[in-house]
Amino acid sequence: MLADSSVVVLALPQIYRELDTSIAGVTWVLVSFNLVMALAAVPAAHIARRVGPGRAAAVGLAVFAGASLACGASSHLTTLIAARCVQALGGAAAVTAVLELLPATVGSERRAAVVWATAGATGAALGPAIGGILTQLVSWQSIFLLQVPVAIAAAVPILAVAKHEAATGVIEPELRKTGRPHVFANLALAMVSAAIAAALFLLVLLLIEGWGLTPIGAAIVVTVMPLSALLGSRLGPVVPSARARAAAGAIFVSGGLGGLALLPKAEVLLTVPPQILIGIGLSLVLSALTETALSGRSPQAIHGGWTISARHAGVVIGLLALTPIFTHDIAKQRTDAIDAGTAVVLDSRVSPLLKIELAGKIVDRMEGERGRVPTIGPAFDPLPTDPVDRAAVLELRSELQNQLDRGATHAFSPSFLLGALLGLLALIPIGLARRMDL
Amino acid sequence: MSAESRGKLLVGGAVVASLLLVVAYLAAGGASYTPTKTQDPCKHRPWRNPQGIAEIAQQFTLSALDGAACQLGVSRETLARALATPAARERFMDRYGINDAKLAKAIRAGLVRAVDDAENAGALSPFLAVPLRETVQHIPLDEAIELIQDGRSLLENAQSFLGPAGGLIEQFLP
Repeated sequence: MLADSSVVVLALPQIYRELDTSIAGVTWVLVSFNLVMALAAVPAAHIARRVGPGRAAAVGLAVFAGASLACGASSHLTTLIAARCVQALGGAAAVTAVLELLPATVGSERRAAVVWATAGATGAALGPAIGGILTQLVSWQSIFLLQVPVAIAAAVPILAVAKHEAATGVIEPELRKTGRPHVFANLALAMVSAAIAAALFLLVLLLIEGWGLTPIGAAIVVTVMPLSALLGSRLGPVVPSARARAAAGAIFVSGGLGGLALLPKAEVLLTVPPQILIGIGLSLVLSALTETALSGRSPQAIHGGWTISARHAGVVIGLLALTPIFTHDIAKQRTDAIDAGTAVVLDSRVSPLLKIELAGKIVDRMEGERGRVPTIGPAFDPLPTDPVDRAAVLELRSELQNQLDRGATHAFSPSFLLGALLGLLALIPIGLARRMDL
Repeated sequence: MSAESRGKLLVGGAVVASLLLVVAYLAAGGASYTPTKTQDPCKHRPWRNPQGIAEIAQQFTLSALDGAACQLGVSRETLARALATPAARERFMDRYGINDAKLAKAIRAGLVRAVDDAENAGALSPFLAVPLRETVQHIPLDEAIELIQDGRSLLENAQSFLGPAGGLIEQFLP
């Protein structure tokens, strides 16, 4: 559930095409889930405290499994979004309740906070790879359908706890006074989550929609982030100061996003160094801030609820702020790039009749892509048999695709820059937090 | 090394790594991208040493597109794509609120400009330019579109447009 958005993000391009919607529309597949999670996490945690975490987790997982099934069976965007909202309700109940159960399982609240934070960072980083592989090898529906057995499997051990609660009636209903949430840590968490959402969401869209990679291809590329996150997690124990880890993490994330905003070419390898920074950064900052938000605060479920709320609110803010910017930019860049490409065709030395034929095919490709950045290669097939014409057409194809690729890459730059700014803004609450070190 | 020093080192490392990446990408041209600007179609575009009928036809087509696009207030590239297929033409006319008459007038004006440019470039004799200019001003829309797409057909099939005078075309072409 903590990885949901990063798993689903790889399926968005396919959902976008199959459900005949817009980029802004398909964004709500993510926004709806994160919005409901942000709103429901804290109330769900209170409910878990009242009815017992075992029962709350079991019910939450059952709701999550049922809604996941509905998501997988959806053939319209509205039903998918509605199912996503229900899924988030179940998810909020389950994850906050599980956090309440964790200390008993792992031995201490401190250890529970670390496990919880690591699970969040790992989920965010591993999600795209899982999402890409499932989307391409099976379908976008499989992402949701796979969540059904996973949720059921998670519910099995929890059912025993729920039965025990029901049998003994031993519930700790609000025995301890709930302390105030760590405002600065949660605020920073929201800002960093917005930046990380930008990184994952925009990079995946750039790779698939902009550069024409397959979902698996994109998943392989963005796997650089979790691998780098592993490196970042090694740095955690070496630096005990949570403030230093959080600040360094936010800077790494912003630096990586800055690099993505300034990609010199439409070249996959050039995304690797920025992703390394983002991966190291997300591992450092998410774990440091989550541990800080939970440390010394009880009950864990309530404060865990606040961290979930902050993270998902950040994702919502990031997506809602960035989507209109990059959809506008991509439309403008697409038009400019196509004009520039047409100029290349018109000024080329191929014969006028061939130009007309090519122009017709290029127009067909653009119309077929319905506002997305077109893959122009097939418009040039079959290649002319005459060697001179063939060479001229190949050169043309390369120039035209280069114009489109660079246009698409540039269209994402302002959004990546905004993401970098959000990451840097997180340094303000991190700096303001009086008591941050654990 | 103390815990505090390790923290400072980590933050410093993050700053240095981020700056290095950003500076490296800037140096490699990361912020330099601007899409190739399309030229104003109303501005004269010099012909590039036309040699032979194929090259003249190319230049003729481009001049005609420029002239028509200038009349319609769109770019040459937009008009070229609009004329690529009948469906694209319909969408273009809907989008810009252009009817058949307006499109025909613009395309004829484009063809006249192409004849002018060809004459000015020395690619077309004035003896041929005058009747051609007169002819293209009265041809139907579909034929005008065909001509704007391929000037070669006009130049090669001048016989059908110009009647007996067309036989002289080869004499007047360089």
